[in-house]
Amino acid sequence: MGLWRALLLALCLLGIGSVARAQSIEPALPLLASSSYSDIEKGIETLAASGHAHALTILQALADSKLFVGADKAVIQSADGKFTDAKSGQAAVNAQGLTAPRVNNRIRRAIDAAMGTLTIKSPDPAKRLEAAASVFKTRDLAARPLIETALAKETDSRVRRAFEQARAALILADKASDADKLAAIAILADRGDQDARAILAAVNDASPAVTAAAKSAVERIDSTLAIWNAVQSVYYGISLGSVLLLAAIGLAITFGVMGVINMAHGEMVMLGAYTTFAVQEIIRTSMPSLFDWSLAIALPLAFLVSGGVGMAIERGIIRFLYGRPLETLLATFGLSLILQQAVRTIFGANNREVGNPSWMSGAFELGGLTLTYNRMWIIVFSIVVLAALMVLLRRTAFGLQMRAVTQNRRMAASMGIRTSWVDCLTFGLGSGIAGIAGVALSQIDNVSPNLGQGYIIDSFMVVVFGGVGNLWGTLVGALSLGIANKLLEPMAGAVLGKIIVLVLIVLFIQRKPRGLFPLKGRAAEA
Amino acid sequence: MIFARFIANDRLLIGFIAVLFGITTLLIVGNLAFAPGSALHVPTYVIALYGKYLCYALLALSVDLVWGQVGILSLGHGAFFALGGYAMGMYLMRQIGPRGVYAHPVLPDFMVFLNYKELPWFWHGMDMFWFAMIMVMLVPGLLAFVFGWLTFRSRVTGVYLSIITQALTFAMLLAFFRNDMGFGGNNGMTDFKDILGFNVQADGTRAGLLAASAIFLALGFFAARVLQRSRFGKVLVAIRDAESRTRFLGYRVEHYKLAVFTFSAVMAGIAGALYVPQVGIINPGEFAPANSIEAVIWVAVGGRGTLVGAVIGAILVNFGKTLFTGVLPELWLFALGGLFVFVTLFMPKGVVGSLPVWSSWLKRRLLPSKVDVPPPVTVQAGE
Amino acid sequence: MTKIWKNIAFGAAMSAAVAIAGAAPVLAQETIKVGVLHSLSGTMAISETTLKDVMLMLIEEQNKKGGLLGKKLEAVVVDPASNWPLFAEKARELISVQKVAATFGCWTSVSRKSVLPVFEELNSILFYPVQYEGEESSKNIFYTGAAPNQQAIPAVDYLMKDEKVQRWVLAGTDYVYPRTTNKILEAYLQQKGVKAEDIMINYTPFGHSDWQTIVANIKKFGSAGKKTAVVSTINGDANVPFYKELANQGVKAKDIPVVAFSVGEEELAGIDTAPLVGHLAAWNYFQSVKNADNDAFIAKWKAFTKNPKRVTNDPMEAHVIGFNMWVKAVEKAGTTDPKAVIDSIIGISVPNLSGGYSTMMPNHHITKPVLIGEVKADGQFETVWQTSGLVVGDEWSDYLEGSKDLIADWRAPMTCGNFNVKSGKCGGAGK
Repeated sequence: MGLWRALLLALCLLGIGSVARAQSIEPALPLLASSSYSDIEKGIETLAASGHAHALTILQALADSKLFVGADKAVIQSADGKFTDAKSGQAAVNAQGLTAPRVNNRIRRAIDAAMGTLTIKSPDPAKRLEAAASVFKTRDLAARPLIETALAKETDSRVRRAFEQARAALILADKASDADKLAAIAILADRGDQDARAILAAVNDASPAVTAAAKSAVERIDSTLAIWNAVQSVYYGISLGSVLLLAAIGLAITFGVMGVINMAHGEMVMLGAYTTFAVQEIIRTSMPSLFDWSLAIALPLAFLVSGGVGMAIERGIIRFLYGRPLETLLATFGLSLILQQAVRTIFGANNREVGNPSWMSGAFELGGLTLTYNRMWIIVFSIVVLAALMVLLRRTAFGLQMRAVTQNRRMAASMGIRTSWVDCLTFGLGSGIAGIAGVALSQIDNVSPNLGQGYIIDSFMVVVFGGVGNLWGTLVGALSLGIANKLLEPMAGAVLGKIIVLVLIVLFIQRKPRGLFPLKGRAAEA
Repeated sequence: MIFARFIANDRLLIGFIAVLFGITTLLIVGNLAFAPGSALHVPTYVIALYGKYLCYALLALSVDLVWGQVGILSLGHGAFFALGGYAMGMYLMRQIGPRGVYAHPVLPDFMVFLNYKELPWFWHGMDMFWFAMIMVMLVPGLLAFVFGWLTFRSRVTGVYLSIITQALTFAMLLAFFRNDMGFGGNNGMTDFKDILGFNVQADGTRAGLLAASAIFLALGFFAARVLQRSRFGKVLVAIRDAESRTRFLGYRVEHYKLAVFTFSAVMAGIAGALYVPQVGIINPGEFAPANSIEAVIWVAVGGRGTLVGAVIGAILVNFGKTLFTGVLPELWLFALGGLFVFVTLFMPKGVVGSLPVWSSWLKRRLLPSKVDVPPPVTVQAGE
Repeated sequence: MTKIWKNIAFGAAMSAAVAIAGAAPVLAQETIKVGVLHSLSGTMAISETTLKDVMLMLIEEQNKKGGLLGKKLEAVVVDPASNWPLFAEKARELISVQKVAATFGCWTSVSRKSVLPVFEELNSILFYPVQYEGEESSKNIFYTGAAPNQQAIPAVDYLMKDEKVQRWVLAGTDYVYPRTTNKILEAYLQQKGVKAEDIMINYTPFGHSDWQTIVANIKKFGSAGKKTAVVSTINGDANVPFYKELANQGVKAKDIPVVAFSVGEEELAGIDTAPLVGHLAAWNYFQSVKNADNDAFIAKWKAFTKNPKRVTNDPMEAHVIGFNMWVKAVEKAGTTDPKAVIDSIIGISVPNLSGGYSTMMPNHHITKPVLIGEVKADGQFETVWQTSGLVVGDEWSDYLEGSKDLIADWRAPMTCGNFNVKSGKCGGAGK
């Protein structure tokens, strides 16, 4: 295998060096069409070594499952569904009689390796960067001369650094002078991430100086990584806190402001998530180009659906139960059973597929942190929702009426406020916010009839811990619970961590029965 | 009120015990004395079912004691029920002895395949019935005492209390799911063989367990009635209706609450202990907050504060559940959920509490004057 | 009428109702009743509802073929509502009230454990269609899902040989199936020379949805320079957020593959599969398997559910096998009497949908092929490896301390579910 690859790389070098060589992809085709993975792997290597002008295009098509091969023919399908002949680049009629090569992880790795060596000389710096990363990962010693030549010509500083790191990784895995190795260690220590640490930790050289240098480099990396880890835990805590905040914020209105224990709150969240599903389903079938906008479309709809259901619940049930908070608990619990079963009957008991738009997928590196886009957007989103709600409560007429009704219903009524309408709208608002929380949660969790159940207890904890009737309390409560959970998790494990947090809340409530930020004044007295 | 007439010479208590024992005796005689096939034969299935209902009824009674009498809405009574059940389950597991699938002389099966080398400390002594029975009462009682002591002393009331009781049972749920806890994790304990030397699957044992459930339910009911009618009970009602005023009158409100809460937890524990051998399994699912909420709903359906209502509510709802999960497997949640909504909206006093309302409504039926539902009163009231 | 008499009347009415509910359905006997004991509500409805539909389809189909022993089959569907004591109650109802000839049901181990004493006491038959941890063999239960040696061990073998994996993350939900499977795998890996520091074990609660920390740890564990794989026994709902987090943190299948034992076509139908491509699953059946039986089954299923997008999965196939075995055994015995069927079913072979025959073995487990598949973008699996022959389900694992000396054989004269070959005795529970 190693020999085979070295040979191929040599061929490959020659192939790139002089265009006049063999340049035929024919020998690769029957191999690619074979059902044996080893044959396909050989086919890829043959293809890479052929030096054919279209080799890279063909490999790319294979990676995207857009390639169809037969014993003597290969056809590539483009994004718009048209076929082109892989060899000549001319249009082909169709892919009849051809098969898509079987692809598994082994084949994907072979494609990566082949593309890595083929793209080292690519004119596109991004491609070269990928190639360097691929060599860094595979540590394919045979690629070293290729890297050296590429490095000599490289002008882009980022790509240059990547090549240097790749070369350093190769040097440490190869025979080299102590000086070279020490230089390589310095480069990797500078890179300072988990992968560099793994390579350095594996260094066990005959020269004590090299081993010692690697060891101290590992120690240095470890100490920086430890700091990053702590930062990471806090970030994860904030992220979990933002999810809790989103789930709880609607409850902070219905429970916190109105005093209604809405056990169907989780189901309002679920309805929001199902609205997202429905929106995406329509977009998928009728206008796929809008997919990246699906969440933006779903947000107002989810607000309306959940808010509408909430208002119907308020008018139909809850308004008869004001002043009897414990009875509302029971009625809304019954309601949550009905809503769950209704969704199960309409949409089926299975999970529904809600996709992440492209801007919600993936991650980016920030120092030693990996920040995933979906979690990051949810943090941003939860803050926006909270801020919007604050503005609504403090700066609008409706907010003023709402606060008036909460603080002194009779007085508010005497001032001409239609208190029952305010109640209805307030409950609708809380439910609607639960609905848009559902849109966000559909991005990180299952969309199933049980979705709401997972959040209901945590939401109540957040509201009670933060102090009923106080949005700042909800924010602080959510974030502190999230962070406490995430700091405990590495030490105690996920389950025990959660239990400890729950017990701490129970104990905390004993100390401060009204939560972190209790409402002051007569209204708060029992 | 009509209710006051009952308390006069407690015909309620006598009536309740008469009905309870009457039905139980009929069922047991029907099961044991008549051969299968006879028209009077009561199938074992019914015995097991009825026994289970009675355990639920005892749990409901314990909830009614704290909610109906003192106004503490506990959404965590399932935890006490489950703890009692676990204590009984541990006893039953130890009784299996070497008859487990791995034939280990001491360790229960789940410990063998999780590589336990010896019995965890808290399993010692559970092979003795009397010790296990003490634990059935002590563990839930102790938990309730500590929890109540902390909570009532710092005057956590109303919805806050409800929600932290829910947190309590949720934390227990998570804890008991952990396999490292030594309680069998999610699978819990099952496949019991003997109780006090009798085969748990034998008809006679089932009848005995049913009788025991009936006796404990009668005892629980008796205790609750005595409590309700005593001076102590009057103070409890005073606390329920005006806690601050009672405190200002010089009563140590938290002591009263703590005493009833602890007693009620012991009652729930006993219910759990009777439940486990009859259904044949105890698992962390019993700690689920939804179970505790359901127990509260039984009480609400039957009629809060009426005691007999708790029993009727528990039996009624569970009978409905048995019936509908068989007859309407896909729709029964609508029926159950609808029932909860209906009861809270239209029968705020439950089945038992609404009986006088209904009869007077029947009398006034011909009068066309329609009374509107009163408009919402202040949100903070009632707590 | 005084209140007391009202009470008494009410109580009497109640118990009469119970008694009638108990006695009424025993009337007609011209059909053969088949119990279907799958949760249609609660947390497990997500998986079990499909199995109920499969049973209804199989029974309808059998009736079209003329029923069984000249009688029509009748499905009795009940909802145990993901509530384990209710499973026991409903099992008792099916057997002693509805008088079903056999029951097909359960998904979780705890539900099986809950009904096991009921089936043994009333001597009825249960077909259990889900992969499970083994360590059990009951006279009255037929296990048509995979035992650990029919799923977990071949999967690890594949990763070790074909993907050259040297470092292992065993991630699971904290309950019995993952615990036992991971114990078996740990023992197996150590036997194969994997060092303890190259195995990371992690348990999470049911429905865990915040995987950030754990995925970060897996990444860290996987960057030690050795090829790493995750063996996932993560259950049900927790999978979606797990795979989403993996994809978002950039853990790719070609770098750190995840092999799962609880993720099938049905689960994938609820996930955006694009980021999962290349991750693995080990099952005994994939919808993508090409053969005439499977094609026919898929077509019938789509027609029955009136949904051309419905998928099939492994537990569904297990029910198909179990049902066909039961039908054959009843025909062979000439009666639906469980006693006779329990004896006649051993040795019965029926075609499975993976293109071979499955046989009921004396330990009440069946023979199955093991398939390893990689997730494709369309939510189906590409079979990348397959055992050359059929694997016999091993109820007592050879890799666990307590069970390696045990065997089960329900044929006379042994008739024992846990015979200890060392002591030569039939231990405890199995009579």
